[in-house]
Amino acid sequence: MINERNRRKTIKTIGAVAASPIYMPFLNLAHAQGSTIPIGVALPMTGNAGAYGPDMAEAAKRTTELINRSGGILGGRKLQLYIEDSESSASVAANLTQKFINVHKCQSLVGYWGTPEGLSSRPIAIQNKVVLMVSSAANSITEGDTQGYVWRFQMKATDWGTVIGRSLQKMGYKSVGVMGLQNAFILPIMRSVEDQMRDSGRTVTDSLIYNPEQPSYRAEVQRIFGKKPEVVCCFSLLPDFVSIMKEVYRGGFTSKVVSLSIAADSEGKFLQAVGPQVAEGIRHFQPMPDTSSSGYKRFTKLMGAPESKLFLFPPNTHDQIAVTALAMERAKSVQAVDWAKQIINVCNGPGEKVDDIVEALKLVRAGKPVNFEGAGSTCDFTNSGDQLGRGMGQWIVENGKNNFVSYEKP
Amino acid sequence: MLSFIILMSLVICFSAILALALNFQWGLGGMINFGLAGLYALGAYACAILILKLNINFFWSTILSMLLVSLVCALISIVTLRVSEEDYFAIVTLGVGEMLRLIALNEDWLTGGALGLTGIPRPLSDSIPADIYIYVFLATYVFILLICIFLLNIIARSAFGRSMRAIREDDVVAVTLGKNLLWTRARIFAVGGLLIGLAGSMHAFYYQYIDPTQFSNIVVAYAIMAVIAGGKGSHFGVVIGSILIMILLEGSRFLKEIIPGLGSDQLSAVRIIIIGVGLILVLIYKPNGFVKEYRLNA
Repeated sequence: MINERNRRKTIKTIGAVAASPIYMPFLNLAHAQGSTIPIGVALPMTGNAGAYGPDMAEAAKRTTELINRSGGILGGRKLQLYIEDSESSASVAANLTQKFINVHKCQSLVGYWGTPEGLSSRPIAIQNKVVLMVSSAANSITEGDTQGYVWRFQMKATDWGTVIGRSLQKMGYKSVGVMGLQNAFILPIMRSVEDQMRDSGRTVTDSLIYNPEQPSYRAEVQRIFGKKPEVVCCFSLLPDFVSIMKEVYRGGFTSKVVSLSIAADSEGKFLQAVGPQVAEGIRHFQPMPDTSSSGYKRFTKLMGAPESKLFLFPPNTHDQIAVTALAMERAKSVQAVDWAKQIINVCNGPGEKVDDIVEALKLVRAGKPVNFEGAGSTCDFTNSGDQLGRGMGQWIVENGKNNFVSYEKP
Repeated sequence: MLSFIILMSLVICFSAILALALNFQWGLGGMINFGLAGLYALGAYACAILILKLNINFFWSTILSMLLVSLVCALISIVTLRVSEEDYFAIVTLGVGEMLRLIALNEDWLTGGALGLTGIPRPLSDSIPADIYIYVFLATYVFILLICIFLLNIIARSAFGRSMRAIREDDVVAVTLGKNLLWTRARIFAVGGLLIGLAGSMHAFYYQYIDPTQFSNIVVAYAIMAVIAGGKGSHFGVVIGSILIMILLEGSRFLKEIIPGLGSDQLSAVRIIIIGVGLILVLIYKPNGFVKEYRLNA
């Protein structure tokens, strides 16, 4: 009888814990809102971009703590982050955006690493007149009428292509094969590279788009590498690039390979997956902060990392939070309908160039114009919300190491 | 909070209709449909394309997308006449679903490819005042869900419903008793297709943006969970299952509010664990789901 009672008690306890999410949304969340200023942060913690979310979340937290420690904004109000996992999914990101806006009353939405997440959340942000700051590259994010609510903290995809195409020409390659994953941000890069090569009199031996999650890429590799171009541009993500490079190595092809760092480095995961022999000689490109800038050095200090540490995306998250705080302070309002108009003023100037968010906030409070220089870029924008001033790094894999080659702006 | 609950209720409505479609095809008809995600994508894309590219109004776009998915489903059941074993049939549906998803991903001229289709207008958003629109939108979705349950219940209690269950239990016996196997199977899949097309259209209207990543196989997994948890064969139970799954998925995001120190990455894992544990408990203690299938009394 005692065992039976215990069993029932255990089942009830497990049931109550399992059912807790049912009543949680109905709990009073007023404590979380109060006089703080809520900011929604959607980041990929799981899914195919899950590797990038944790560092971006850390950057968001540390930037917010810094601003709050220095007295907050709008007369001492603190920023409060709501960090959520976008699961690298468009539908999840859209539901999160609704949660940020309707539950937490956020007027600033930051993070949004992938293009599907950005595109699915864009109409919701515009309809609700809330600022959406994305880290995604696809051109379509800022195309059309965004009413000043959508801002890209990343290089536009076609600009990636511009830098890569120019570098290929400098390296003197006469023929190129191009293959890329069917993906919204990769296609504009491919087109841009191909156009530049043709316009400069080079030969594009072949070009193909492949689907994600194929069991094998042997046919694609045979078609592109079989024509023996001097160099093959393979614009991929990590899982497909690993399979492709294994096929290339197995097939004994000799063309040089150029790719993106999110495939050919991916925080060292590519080398772990294929080993140094397969990876030898691959050049890879990725938008990155200007690591020599004082804004970036200040950021690495904030993150408690050595100056040599390269953060690709977390500086963007830092800049998104910083720009939100500055624009709100300048507009003297937390309503996006007011402060969205101030983004370009605090980022492009005119005014004193400042890369320290605490100093920049002091200047804005004093009513002085400011030209904020971020950690990820100089934080200058076009009127349509595209970021200027971010450059691209080039690396080459040599003896099992990624060696930095150059930094270039489009 | 109220707005968020309303918005999640809208998601529950079309997720429940999708689960009802699976329940009709699999729970009542015994025809497992692993191509659900692809057919769901077909419904959403057909509706969006008819509105955006052919300027057809939302009502006829929805009807036509329902008919298109229904037709494709009927064709699947006819061409698989000889594939009567459930596991082989499942593989065929999986293949068709994947084919549809790849078409959506690669036919840029029609579907926008990986970029998807943006700017899908919500029905009557110009004529209904903005401040009450969301309530009208929800009322319409709930009404459609109730109509679906009502009609499915009528079908389940009809002669056709009895034929479906007979074929599900033993198709050889059903044929011996004079039931037309091919015609019944085609009708089962076609009626399910109507519902899948409807759910896809409602998905497109809700998100106003569709792309191929929204129609991954996780959609099938959630629908199967809803059917198992709710009770295979029970329409009402499946709706309860869909509600519970959505509450677990979205409600568990609020765990952070009451458990201090729980990080976003840890929460992601905890949410999946909660869903898994919930499903295991249901399977152990309610193997037939929350609501039993309707049976005529002897």
